[in-house]
Amino acid sequence: MKSLLSLLIAFTAINIDLYAAEAGMPQLDPKYWASQAFWLILVFIILYISISKFYLPKIKDNLDNRENKIKEDLENASKFKEQSEAKFKEYEVILKNARKEISKIHFDSKTILDKDIRTKKEEMEKEIEKEILKAQKQIIDQKKNSIISIQNISKEIASNIIENISGDKLNESSIKATVEEVTKKNIGKHL
Amino acid sequence: MASNPMQQFEVYKIGPEIKIAGIDLSFTNASLFMIISASIIHLFLFLGSKEKKIIPGKLQLISEMFYTFVAKMISDTAGSKAKPYFPFIFSLFMFVLFCNMVGMLPYSFTVTSHIIVTLIMALFIFIAVTIIGFIKHGFKYLSIFVPSGVPAVLLPLITVIEIISYLSRPVSLSVRLFANMMAGHTMLKVFGGFVVSLGILGGWLPLSFSVALTGLEILVAFLQAYVFAILTCIYLNDALNLHH
Repeated sequence: MKSLLSLLIAFTAINIDLYAAEAGMPQLDPKYWASQAFWLILVFIILYISISKFYLPKIKDNLDNRENKIKEDLENASKFKEQSEAKFKEYEVILKNARKEISKIHFDSKTILDKDIRTKKEEMEKEIEKEILKAQKQIIDQKKNSIISIQNISKEIASNIIENISGDKLNESSIKATVEEVTKKNIGKHL
Repeated sequence: MASNPMQQFEVYKIGPEIKIAGIDLSFTNASLFMIISASIIHLFLFLGSKEKKIIPGKLQLISEMFYTFVAKMISDTAGSKAKPYFPFIFSLFMFVLFCNMVGMLPYSFTVTSHIIVTLIMALFIFIAVTIIGFIKHGFKYLSIFVPSGVPAVLLPLITVIEIISYLSRPVSLSVRLFANMMAGHTMLKVFGGFVVSLGILGGWLPLSFSVALTGLEILVAFLQAYVFAILTCIYLNDALNLHH
């Protein structure tokens, strides 16, 4: 590999020497210098004019357009962002107010309900008391009635018993008096 | 004949002889390839700037990349004062680049491998920059030869060196491009010749060299166009912004 490489390099040196001696450098032959200079200047001037007058302004325009567009878009984006932030703040305020309102409504309804419940409760209690009183009165009345009817029944039973035992018919008024007496004595036990 | 590595640089007449005032201005293969390169630039820029889309197509993107590339190069090296010279430097860069690239095609002719072509461009730049310098700064432009902060003893020597380096600018600018292009193409031709002469057994090594060199030469073609343009910018910067 190394020997081959050195061989190649040696070859190159010899070859270039040979060719240089044989042909020389065409670059240093002044035959076409004027022609090359003339055509170079001509071609370059045309290229320069068309580039500076036509192509570069177009490219520059396009680049500027894009830059402006990007700047505009960014500005718009930041504007929209600000707007959305403002809206969000508004929304938060609304939400806060709504929460306040909710708690107020909650509180109000609670107090109203409480009051309502209390009045209803009181009314009910009053009614219940009234009913109780009525019931008690009824019971007492019934008791009194029952005493009277018991007295009558016992009067009848007593006169019957006496009649059956003695065969005599006693004076009704005396039986009545006796029964009443006994009842009066023992009524305290039952009432 | 085909194996002569210098034969590719030969200039020959195409069509009739054109003589104006006794000077031979015939249309040659060099002229033909200048026109071909310029036409490719025209076509490329035309297609690249035809559609004005917000989201660019491929050609539009490439042409805009060239634009921004050259614009950035100028603003980085010569500042905002060099803006009026942007079209010239853009044309120069495109012309040298496309001439170099067209020269990379087999059987084509490399316009920039001729010293007369590069010398004319370099001389034009040199003279134009000197004139711009004198217009902008008057005789103060001569202070470019006297760097500041140099001890008085060394000043004459430094000034002489500065003058020589200034005057050698067109030579270095033109020879750099010409020599690079010529050396690269000669080397490609020599290795191509080896492929043929070493045949099927030994030809593979120079062939691989040839392939690698082709890649290198494409890089050099771009690089030399870039160097040519950026040196122009630097010379322009010296003329526009007198730093010394």
